[in-house]
Amino acid sequence: MRDRVPWASSWTGIAGGATPALVLAGALVAAHAVLFADPYGLRVLTVAGVYALAVIGYQMIFGKAGALSLAQGTFHGLGAYATGIVGSQLGYGFAVTFPVSILVPTVLALVIAAPVLRLESHYFALATLGIGQVALLGAVEWQGVTGGSNGIAGVAAIELFGWRPGRGLPLALFVWALVAAGAVIAWRYGRGWRRLAFPLMRDNPAAARALGIDIDRLRLETFALSAAYAGAAGALAAHIQRVVSPEVLEFPVMVTILTMAVIGGRGRVGGAIAGALLLTQLPEWFRGWERGYLLLYGVVLLAVVVAAPWGLVGALERARRRWLPERPRPLPVPVDPGPRPTPPFRGPMLYVAGLSKSFGGVRAVDGVSLWIDRGEILGVIGPNGSGKTTLINLMTSLEKPDGGKLYVRGVEMTGMPTHRIARGGVARGFQMASLPPDGDALDAVAAGRAMIDKDPSSAAAHALHFLTLTGAADLARTPCSVLPPGSRRRVELARALARQPGALLLDEPAAGLTEAEQADLAGQIRSAAASGVAVLIVEHNMPFLLPLADRIICLDEGRIIAEGTPDAIRRDPAVMAAYLGPSHPEPAHPGPA
Amino acid sequence: MADKTKNSGNPALRPALRKVLPLAAALLASVIPPAAAAAELNIPVLVPVTGFLALEGTSQRNGAVLALSDAPAGLKVESEVIDTGTAPEGAVTALERAAGRGTPTAVAASMLGTQMLAMLPLAEEYGVPLVTVSGTASITERGNPWVFRFFPGDGVTKTAHARYAVEELGKRRPAVIHQTTAYGQSGQAHLRDAFAKLGVEPVFEEGVDPGIRDMLPVLTKAMAANPDVLILHLHSGPTALFIRQAAAMGITVPIVAGSAMHQPSTAALLEPAELKGVCAESSASPVSGGTPELERFTADYRATFKTEPDAFALGQYDGIRMVLDAAAKGAETPEAIRDALAKSTYQGLAMTYRSDGRGNMAHSAVIVCYDGASRVPAVVKRYDTAAPP
Amino acid sequence: MIVAQLLVNGLALGAAYALVALGFVLVLNATGAVNFAQGDLVMAGGFLAVALAGSLPVPGIVLLPLVMGLMALLGLAVSLLAYLPLRNRPPVSVFISTIAVGIILQNGVILLFGPEPKAAPALFGATTVSLGGLVIPEQSIAVIAVAGLLILGQHWLFARTQLGRRLRATAQDPEMARACGIPVTAMIALTFAVGAALAGAAGLLLSNQFFVTPSSGAGLILKAYIAVTIGGWGSVAGAVTGALLIAAFEVVASATVSYSAATAALYLAVLVILTFRPQGLFGEAAGARA
Repeated sequence: MRDRVPWASSWTGIAGGATPALVLAGALVAAHAVLFADPYGLRVLTVAGVYALAVIGYQMIFGKAGALSLAQGTFHGLGAYATGIVGSQLGYGFAVTFPVSILVPTVLALVIAAPVLRLESHYFALATLGIGQVALLGAVEWQGVTGGSNGIAGVAAIELFGWRPGRGLPLALFVWALVAAGAVIAWRYGRGWRRLAFPLMRDNPAAARALGIDIDRLRLETFALSAAYAGAAGALAAHIQRVVSPEVLEFPVMVTILTMAVIGGRGRVGGAIAGALLLTQLPEWFRGWERGYLLLYGVVLLAVVVAAPWGLVGALERARRRWLPERPRPLPVPVDPGPRPTPPFRGPMLYVAGLSKSFGGVRAVDGVSLWIDRGEILGVIGPNGSGKTTLINLMTSLEKPDGGKLYVRGVEMTGMPTHRIARGGVARGFQMASLPPDGDALDAVAAGRAMIDKDPSSAAAHALHFLTLTGAADLARTPCSVLPPGSRRRVELARALARQPGALLLDEPAAGLTEAEQADLAGQIRSAAASGVAVLIVEHNMPFLLPLADRIICLDEGRIIAEGTPDAIRRDPAVMAAYLGPSHPEPAHPGPA
Repeated sequence: MADKTKNSGNPALRPALRKVLPLAAALLASVIPPAAAAAELNIPVLVPVTGFLALEGTSQRNGAVLALSDAPAGLKVESEVIDTGTAPEGAVTALERAAGRGTPTAVAASMLGTQMLAMLPLAEEYGVPLVTVSGTASITERGNPWVFRFFPGDGVTKTAHARYAVEELGKRRPAVIHQTTAYGQSGQAHLRDAFAKLGVEPVFEEGVDPGIRDMLPVLTKAMAANPDVLILHLHSGPTALFIRQAAAMGITVPIVAGSAMHQPSTAALLEPAELKGVCAESSASPVSGGTPELERFTADYRATFKTEPDAFALGQYDGIRMVLDAAAKGAETPEAIRDALAKSTYQGLAMTYRSDGRGNMAHSAVIVCYDGASRVPAVVKRYDTAAPP
Repeated sequence: MIVAQLLVNGLALGAAYALVALGFVLVLNATGAVNFAQGDLVMAGGFLAVALAGSLPVPGIVLLPLVMGLMALLGLAVSLLAYLPLRNRPPVSVFISTIAVGIILQNGVILLFGPEPKAAPALFGATTVSLGGLVIPEQSIAVIAVAGLLILGQHWLFARTQLGRRLRATAQDPEMARACGIPVTAMIALTFAVGAALAGAAGLLLSNQFFVTPSSGAGLILKAYIAVTIGGWGSVAGAVTGALLIAAFEVVASATVSYSAATAALYLAVLVILTFRPQGLFGEAAGARA
């Protein structure tokens, strides 16, 4: 069955639909190198190959994981210095220096990962920049080892087990063979479940975590891998330049790598190669205009980025999609994955005791205890700012609780990271739409299976099963970005159910839906519960919630003020007071509603 | 490609031609076949005209271009200027490019030490003499027979620098402020040796990043060490910043600066009064005048490039002139040029050049001083190291 | 005594850096995009001042409005060529387009002015003032005063005027601003103009005492980036504080240890600050849009 499911063509990871053009371009470059290029042309090609390797690595942390690392130039420089010091000064050959050059930046990446990777966006960028500047300072000042600003001269040419590529064509082919190997490894790495995980991780880290994706591990992997590639590129650069000097650690190298990644196509292996080729060739084409050539280079760079803001590969794909519309990819045959084996346990599916959280001295959640049984639907209501969303965030570890315990299927998971709790059987929906903007509904639901199925074709087959369950099978090939709100909810619900959770936490699922859509959604939730899922719904919409819930909890100022059947809650004076009473003005918690 | 300086043209036409050439050359670049089979000599100019060394690199370029346009009668010279940027990679790529268009007879090569070090192995493989004004000591210490330096190495200039401070000014407590670049670190090491030979130990030594703007902190620290002379080894802008700061603070300790001070563009940043009493080492000071030939060079240079020449321009001019002189005497191949440069003596405008066997051609340095009334310094002392046999 | 002198110098340098960082952060807030050309705009402002001074022998303070006005036009051009065509594109493409603008500015200046360092005229005069034993260049005092006034002026423009309210509304939520009838595109272009004008002012102020070369923008953009991030991405007060902090390390800290040690200390301080304040000193202001 699996074999008959056409998932993505194996080329998708490399270049998407632009493959024929890229293969043609690659063949042309290769033919040019072998048949026509003079030593100068070959040298420019070799330098492009070195950059391509560094940029392929950079596409992992920056393109795929979406973290603006400014350390790639530093890793590249460290690789060069490792080759310079171990090769030129200690006298080891390529067979030793090359692995060492890969290892040194990788180890540095792993060492700095702990403090640096937890920083977000520009703070991560600044921290990586700072580390690079310290490394540069070290290279200039530690003259005994690095040769100071003069650097290390006389780096030997590459010699591998007696074979010397020398320069010219053999060297160019050697470097590009390494680029090809690096490209294949990078492409294989970015395939499978990671292909589903990366876009989600870039656009909505919280949603990715809630799907059981270990973002921290992916960031660490991509950071270390990017450093390894940069180290390899640095080693080759040292051999090709024959000197290592602090220039390899300076910021312009980083700017060049970043520019190549973006100009080629962010996140794309093919883009890395295209960007490296274009940006090394471009200034050479304009050399004739002695002092103005860099001016011309700047103008063309600006023109390229304005004309192709998604990069060369992105532009090719868009052009192809426009002129040669793709036939819709055939749908897989839906497959019911069957129940997931879970260890037996006693007691409620989900149980929290004394959960508390304060924001700046205000108690957003204050000693909340609750449980949900298998197949039960628990509603949580409360005025704005009463701590409802914070409660869900605490139950999924998106916020760390100040105190209290959490048990899922009888196992204590207090304080565990979000993805562990998710894998333990808790699925959640978000107040804000959390589907990735790129890709279609089937991809989005398949991402929910990413950590369960591991192999993409069964993930897609299973995903279609859950889309069918929520009545959204006809949306499978619709891009998520154009889904109307009602359909989005269905797709999100399908994604949550695709994880076959023990407990499902929904945050205002009925918001923005028409009454018909609400009724439909209520039916879906009921049937999920009927299949044994414990459901928690945070909702304002009483006409939606009251008929649906088995039991309701009312929160006010972070505490449970009432609990009971919908009927009992409807008549509870404390609830009435919380919502309407003059003695309870709108509470002003800083935590989200 | 911008300066296809053919010697056969009418000299009077040259300045006008030179204005049109960059544009024309840019247009022609794509049509002209790469190999220059017709030219007898091919002397590309591979120097940094962009980046942080653009000032010095442009002087180098202008010196080489002027020498090529003044080539002896009967020589046909093909040349193009290629920017090397400041990364070693750029220099090697430029050399490959030049070599790809017919083996060069000789190359006017970057004054940036790391770029020279990167070009050396390739020059040896191609067998092309590199004619440079780089002061970095190590480029002639690698046993490469293809490098020729027409500027005194740090060994020569820093000895003159230290000797002037100690022997002429009678100072014993120098404070050394140098750049953290390759130029700065090499100079610092040689200054330390030179002072040690004179039995003097600097009371203060510090490296300054070229991006540093405010010189007050380093001046403060230097003065705290109670020096009797301030020895600078800084690039152009930082030299001017330091001297201006010292003048503003009314510091009376004399300053003996590095060769960047002698560049007219450095002096142009300062008021003559701020320069009073400041001295500097250099290999030469073309604007200070001297022989009629030197004055003619300065006048030509001004007329051609609308800017003032410095010692780098003069050194590169002399170097390329020596190559052309050898070619006029029958050396046509790169090997013949190399042998001529390695063995003969050449009377240049700045000094007499002769190889010490390692490619060091220049063995003289001068000290220039400013009188506080003009931005043109006077040569006050000349140091000639013993010419090699 | 020398400490006071160093503080004055540090304050003057920090005030000029603050103008650079301020121009950077205004554009960042209005567009969510990083203007990598900000350093080169400062450099261009410096050369513009030098060029104007060549034909108009007047004190720098007279040139200042002229430089700022012309630089504002350049800022408009930058927004027109490098930002507006990319406004609904991935933000990182603006990063690259402004890198390209920087390359164009740098090499254009080399072509027009040559590679020599240049000095712009002083704001008032080049004399020094003796204040109780302190020898302070008149220019330093003028720089602190002018930069302070410009920072206050910018604050007044954004906080107190109708135009400023529109600019802020655009920065906060362009969609909402458009719905309220604010000409968002014009406001963004105007923000670029203000940012470039501030860069021009910084260029005039810096290039008198510290000279300007075609490559001097590269160091400035790093300083602006560090100042803006360490202060809290998008926080105006944070950017000014960050700029003063950097100048303090550059001038005051390096008076006790070597420049290299002071630079290393600056970056280590940055890393320590990020460890304890992962959202910068003043917290995030630009938020997820950045």
